[in-house]
Amino acid sequence: MKFNLVAAWLLMGVVLIAAAIVAAPGASYSKQDRLLPLAGATIHHWAGTDALGRDRLVRVAAALLLSLGGALAAAAVTTAAAAGVGTLAAFGPRGLGWIALLICDVFLALPWLFLLMMVRSALPLTTSPANSAAITFLVLAALGWPACARAVYRGAVDLKRSEWMLHARAEGLRDGQLIRYVIPSLVPLLLPQFLICIPAFIVAEANLGALGLGVGEPLPSWGGMLLELDNSALLFQTPWVYLPVILLVIVLLLLEAIPAEA
Amino acid sequence: MRHSSRLVVAFYMILAVLAGKTSGAQAASRLPGELVWAIGSDPKTFDPAQVDDQWSELVRYVTSGVLVRFNRLTQTVEPQLAESWTLSADGKTVTFKLRPGLRFSDGSGLTSRDAAWSIRHALLPASHAVVAEEFLSPGGVTVETPDLRTVIVHLPGRVIGIGKVFDEIAIEPANRPSQGRVTAGPFVVAEYRRLQYVRLRRNPYYYGRDAAGNSLPYASGIRLDILQDQEMQIRLFLRGEYDLINNLPPDYFELLKQKDSSSVRDLGPSLNTEQMWFNQAPESPLPGWEKSWFQSRAFRVAVSQAIHRDDLARIAYQGHATPAYTFISPANAAWYDRSVNAPHTDLAAARAGLADAGFHLSGNQLEDRENHPVKFSILTNAGNDARLKMATLIQQDLTALGMQINVVTLDFPALIERLMHTQDYEACLLGLANVDPDPNVMMNLWLSSSPNHQWNPSEKVPATPWEAEIDRLMKQQASSLKQAQRKIAMDRVQQIVADEQPFIYLVYPNVLLAVSPRLQGVQPAVLDPRLAWNVERLRLEGGR
Repeated sequence: MKFNLVAAWLLMGVVLIAAAIVAAPGASYSKQDRLLPLAGATIHHWAGTDALGRDRLVRVAAALLLSLGGALAAAAVTTAAAAGVGTLAAFGPRGLGWIALLICDVFLALPWLFLLMMVRSALPLTTSPANSAAITFLVLAALGWPACARAVYRGAVDLKRSEWMLHARAEGLRDGQLIRYVIPSLVPLLLPQFLICIPAFIVAEANLGALGLGVGEPLPSWGGMLLELDNSALLFQTPWVYLPVILLVIVLLLLEAIPAEA
Repeated sequence: MRHSSRLVVAFYMILAVLAGKTSGAQAASRLPGELVWAIGSDPKTFDPAQVDDQWSELVRYVTSGVLVRFNRLTQTVEPQLAESWTLSADGKTVTFKLRPGLRFSDGSGLTSRDAAWSIRHALLPASHAVVAEEFLSPGGVTVETPDLRTVIVHLPGRVIGIGKVFDEIAIEPANRPSQGRVTAGPFVVAEYRRLQYVRLRRNPYYYGRDAAGNSLPYASGIRLDILQDQEMQIRLFLRGEYDLINNLPPDYFELLKQKDSSSVRDLGPSLNTEQMWFNQAPESPLPGWEKSWFQSRAFRVAVSQAIHRDDLARIAYQGHATPAYTFISPANAAWYDRSVNAPHTDLAAARAGLADAGFHLSGNQLEDRENHPVKFSILTNAGNDARLKMATLIQQDLTALGMQINVVTLDFPALIERLMHTQDYEACLLGLANVDPDPNVMMNLWLSSSPNHQWNPSEKVPATPWEAEIDRLMKQQASSLKQAQRKIAMDRVQQIVADEQPFIYLVYPNVLLAVSPRLQGVQPAVLDPRLAWNVERLRLEGGR
């Protein structure tokens, strides 16, 4: 069996195990065992509890599903938008390409921090934690594409000047006909962009939490759990706070390995 | 190779965030005999008359010479630049007699003219001094100086705790305000580097001496590093770079205790309170049925009865907080009323109270008389871990009553905008820092006409009879000549607040401090500036 298939099965296994942990009878990511805050591993809490006595394993599993799902979706949107804009800028009419790149630059120059704060303060306070999470990843996708699009544009321009493209044009193919060959050729460029976006979005979600824009309590967030590592007092009390970062590394390695030999 | 470079980028991004707050370090080396600790941000001003933030106030405290000083440990007013002071029987004339031979830090003489100029300067509207408001009618205050050592202040009316007010007026050279560079206090501002540090040096002409006749202060100077990152502050303290931490987070208290139990102090409850309240303002944009819930005493009392305050103290503060039931902390022995009868945790009583008020359960969801599900949000400020934990604990507590709670964190400007301007919020959880034990300073919180009357700001007339009674009692205590009468009035206010629950008090956070074993002369106080209140007597072991 090829290594990439093994990685895909392993990732599927991780996701299924996470889903099974969350769906197990009696499992709750929000139930507080107030007599056991920051407890170590026990028969009832296999990975101990967090500062509010909530089962860390269930929360990490739920966070994995939520944050990974959200980050994957946001990364997919970002990469797709970047691919579209970058290719359009390189292969489209010159004026349209110039406008597309100008929009990228304007997006990159905007003071997003203040805009995000305005977005959050404009949201109704009754926005549910699930909606808040969806909005957060949507915002991240909206923020992530311009830098990515710039990189894609550069790659697409190189492609446009490549020898096989010149041959194809010499054979009489128009730019519109060439596009369907362009996107597959850009995959080696888009894939790293997609993969880099995933941890970036997970961590960015955690940082947005500091502005009040993020996954709301009691929903668990992977980014929020990673930020626990910033508190040396917590590290001192329980080693289980490392669990989310270990899982993140494993998931990233698997994500990395899946397309490697494709 | 290609794969590993991708992963390096990903790992780097994670580590960069995790390690992001470890950047920055102390900005200068320690001078011999110098004390060093951190402050959270740049002081807004060094002009002692214009102080209105915590860090400017600290600099003013350690640099300014004042006529009398409010002793943070004994909570009494003591003479300082004045060797004595008297208050007339009608409470309208304060007479100070200055010590002989006083000098400013530049060696120039300090006389009653300097004191009179400083008082007048603080009272001028152009100075925008916060202390002026404490004179009630600053425009009517007159100051005279019959001789070089006597200052007489005439007040238009009696001011409660007038002695303490002079603790906030720094005596500066007449007509030569110096932004703290020429003072009559133990230290002077020597150097300020924005975002790095404030360096203070010893005032060689400070009047103070210890019992053995040695001149004070003991330390050669103080360096106040500007450092917001608490994690970094703890590390620098552990490395011996900092001598004290005045406000230690509960998590780190336990960490430092494990390393050296003698380096941390828990002084018990502070004067500060953490509380939540419901928006009762009639003009708020909330639906009518929500307003009626929040204006219902039964609803507020039921919420209060459902909250497990012991859990809040034990979990959110790791046991370093005390459950709160009234606005005056037990640390404020003179004003705390032990006999206040406040709602304690009692779920059965909470359910019964809600049922009497027309609420009923539909499945697991509480509904009002008109079948509106009881759902609301609790707003708090982002970045405060203890408050977020408390809100999340309360979220679960109220689930037991069938209420659905949304916990929302906002950055402070957005939160203040909602509280003070749009009034578009349902419930809020915040804290109140009390710097003065006298409840008179809480007038702006309790008077119904005040914009800081949070649950219903700026009422034209009191909205309820109990608010009218609080208004009357607060004014009564502010004008009463007898301490016993003031206490009776404040006890009654505490009971009304306990009965009506406009603020649902949660905990009094404990005062947590860290002190270097090398620091000598430490006498920790609950009141600010806590470890630094006797700064002139602090010194490092082996120092001068």
